[in-house]
Amino acid sequence: MEFERVWTAANWERLLVGDLLNQGVLGGLLLTLLLGGAAIVFSTVLGAIVGTMRSASWRTISIISAVYVQTFRNVPLLILVFWAYFFPSVFGLQLSKFASVLVALTLFTSAYIAEIVSGGIRSVGRGQIEAGRALGLSPFEVRLWIVLPQAFFNMLPALAGRYVVAIKNTSLAFLIGLADLTEIGKQIGARLMTAPIEVYLTLLMIYFVVNRCLSMLLRALEDRHRFNRVFMRI
Amino acid sequence: MHLDWAILWGNPGLLILQGLLVTLQLSAWTLLLAFLIGLLVGVVRWLGFRVAEPFCWLYVEVARNTPPVVQILFWYFSASYLMPGWLFIGLRDVGYEFGAAVVALAIYHGAFIAEVVRAGLNSVPGSQFDAARALGLRFRQSLLRILAPQAVRIALPPFVNEATSIVKNTSLAMAIGVTELTYQYKHIDSFLFRGVEALAAVTVIYLMLCLVIAGLGHLLSKRLSKHVARRDPPLALTSE
Repeated sequence: MEFERVWTAANWERLLVGDLLNQGVLGGLLLTLLLGGAAIVFSTVLGAIVGTMRSASWRTISIISAVYVQTFRNVPLLILVFWAYFFPSVFGLQLSKFASVLVALTLFTSAYIAEIVSGGIRSVGRGQIEAGRALGLSPFEVRLWIVLPQAFFNMLPALAGRYVVAIKNTSLAFLIGLADLTEIGKQIGARLMTAPIEVYLTLLMIYFVVNRCLSMLLRALEDRHRFNRVFMRI
Repeated sequence: MHLDWAILWGNPGLLILQGLLVTLQLSAWTLLLAFLIGLLVGVVRWLGFRVAEPFCWLYVEVARNTPPVVQILFWYFSASYLMPGWLFIGLRDVGYEFGAAVVALAIYHGAFIAEVVRAGLNSVPGSQFDAARALGLRFRQSLLRILAPQAVRIALPPFVNEATSIVKNTSLAMAIGVTELTYQYKHIDSFLFRGVEALAAVTVIYLMLCLVIAGLGHLLSKRLSKHVARRDPPLALTSE
């Protein structure tokens, strides 16, 4: 093992921020985190909307939600990336590589999050909804203020798992030529030629540390009393 | 934009069918190997052997927290360093992309299946095992005849999810040049300039494969839990 060949200052710089400091484009871990973070935020919002639609009383809406989930969940993410890169050109638009990976990753992840949200909503007791209605809240208010906050804590472990998968899935970006962490690692591997084990172990290590930190962070939120104390000042 | 769907009956269609065959083979081998790994690691973790536990934990955590495509690249590019020379020279000429993809994906999904197996076994109350042992069943009998049938019912839905996930993740094998469905789409797009038609066809094939697997799994799990009382129907938020 010759890790010192891989772990030079120049290589670390490229792995972490790409060519950002040399008047080049942003890349490496920073790009991976930007892509993953944006996808996580967008897909959580979209997933919450689609997941809530699943339990709507209007049948058409719940069917639309089910079709959305089944379609985007049962197609490989890579295929969605190609669609996103490609489909807008039918209308004369062209998404950038970053945007197309982001769109695909958001659609893919939101389908899973919608399932988690609709399951979380179902896990909240019927009595809670009836009590909220009896107190004069509208169905929408019941959903927003009674059901979702309680469902949130039931959903957290599953959401944490999905977020980790989203970060892992950003690694597909290199297949359409985005300079993310995997692509930079591949380039370093190609230049060194004789140290693939060291290069890819380094990559695996970086992803491992990032994902473990993320899941540990989310696990800390699972204690709802501490959450209320810190964020809600209760 | 001019679309010519008829080309799918010609040469591109044949390429896609070849790709489908490779995807199916890749999925089947991966599923088999991942299931074996998952069963072994899951049972060992459930038993809680002091010696094996840290290794199993490390394996599951590392495999689950790293991207499958990086794992595929790792096994593919380090193959020549990890294998004995004579084996590598033998494999080099026939190509080992397929094998590398199977190994990488099986290791990745094996970790998830190990967790599914462990969760399934943990969902059966421990007293069931103790009762079986007290009634004089051997260790293997009580595991296979008492615990396994109860655990399978719990573990089947997540296992089916893993199976569809394997089919989807075989598309990553194009990164190292395995000629499966997604690779064939790229090929048709690059050399025959029929990207949209090929992409639509490939998307439909993946969608159908995954839906069929999910549907079969659903039927099977309904059959397995026929004797169990039905859960409450899903809650509807009505605005009466």
